[in-house]
Amino acid sequence: MINLEQQNELFKLIGEILKDKLECYVIGGSAMMYYGMKGNTKDIDLVFEHEKDREKVIQVLKNLGYNERGIKVVSVIYPKKKNTPILLERDDSRVDLFVNKIINTVLSDSMKDRINSIYEYGNFIIKVLAPEDLIITKCATERAGDRLDAVEIMKRAKIDWEVIIKESVFQAEVTPYLFPVFLFDFLYELKEDLKADVPKKVLDEIRKISEDLLEKKLKK
Amino acid sequence: MEKSIEGILNKLEGLNTIELIAKKLNLKKSTAIKKIHELKKRGYVETSGGGKQPRLYRISRIKTQKIGNPGLYDVINKNSPIKLVKPYEHRIVGRSISIEEAIVLAVKSENFRLILASLALFNKVKTWSKLYELAKKENVRRKTGALYELTRKIMRARKMDDKTQKLLLNAKHEKKDIIAEMHSEDFKDIEKKWNVHIPFNYNDLRRYKE
Repeated sequence: MINLEQQNELFKLIGEILKDKLECYVIGGSAMMYYGMKGNTKDIDLVFEHEKDREKVIQVLKNLGYNERGIKVVSVIYPKKKNTPILLERDDSRVDLFVNKIINTVLSDSMKDRINSIYEYGNFIIKVLAPEDLIITKCATERAGDRLDAVEIMKRAKIDWEVIIKESVFQAEVTPYLFPVFLFDFLYELKEDLKADVPKKVLDEIRKISEDLLEKKLKK
Repeated sequence: MEKSIEGILNKLEGLNTIELIAKKLNLKKSTAIKKIHELKKRGYVETSGGGKQPRLYRISRIKTQKIGNPGLYDVINKNSPIKLVKPYEHRIVGRSISIEEAIVLAVKSENFRLILASLALFNKVKTWSKLYELAKKENVRRKTGALYELTRKIMRARKMDDKTQKLLLNAKHEKKDIIAEMHSEDFKDIEKKWNVHIPFNYNDLRRYKE
């Protein structure tokens, strides 16, 4: 497990080693720590816009003693998912590095516009996704603990549901996945099983969008 | 009156004045001030305004962690009479942004309001050579020199040494536009001398005279 202080130390070290400025986005538990929604996280999830940037950070991490995890381990953590990230680990610290896509979700321009904090660690610039987008990416990764994290985000932040609905529609347009369908299942389970505060109106709207999408897909 | 923090935050989330807070919590103004002070200590409140402007309280259930030192917008807001709305929280970890760096970052941003607000920082520059080195690194030497001269026309600013001025003026291979396609009608002399396009007219700079 990594806490915010340890994460800061690692980012500072990366920023000192990198020769040029490099930006990436932080999602998942790492992002939640910046919002004070979580004390520690199992892994640091970083999303890069360019493969070459990810390569640079991988190189730095490998020089710091991080090793790539085997394909078997990756497929257990992200079962049957495409665009699996590169996973690096050292002792009990794990870093997952994505490029532009978080499993079946694209890092969209509107997500980039919504970021509400930037932290500069020397040459390593970390942008923190908005709480709404953290829920979207939690829906994409669907790992153990993601549901609990999503509920915590809903408890701690004032969620703009319109943003989530619009983003899910956009995701369905730019990826082959029916994102609103996944989102509906995800939110429905949160509401039913974990008593999350998801407004019924929102669920109804996402269900309607999902049904329309499925109908369109079946007609094709 | 709502007692739990959660309940109070639910009622107050968003932007508020102290009068609004008192009304929403059904408190006297003095008690509301105490309550807001308590919330601020817990990290739920950010304030803006004050002085001539009414003080506004942004209340959020999210306690964003204050890691590191203030970012560009904070440095400019602290040192300029023109205040900017922060589009995001910006923190610098492991070092702090100097006045010289803030000026250069603002020039580089090509953002109208950021550059406008940063002009006031020329009066707080401590090391002109540092300003030059940073401007050189970002390839904005002529732009920085021109904006300095513009600043001296409209407000008090510390005098830049001749050597730095000369170095800034002699810079080659730099773009003319400080902000794409924006020219000045009023500062043609500066534009000609520095071979850059000033994005401001006198009217834009009136805020500094108020």
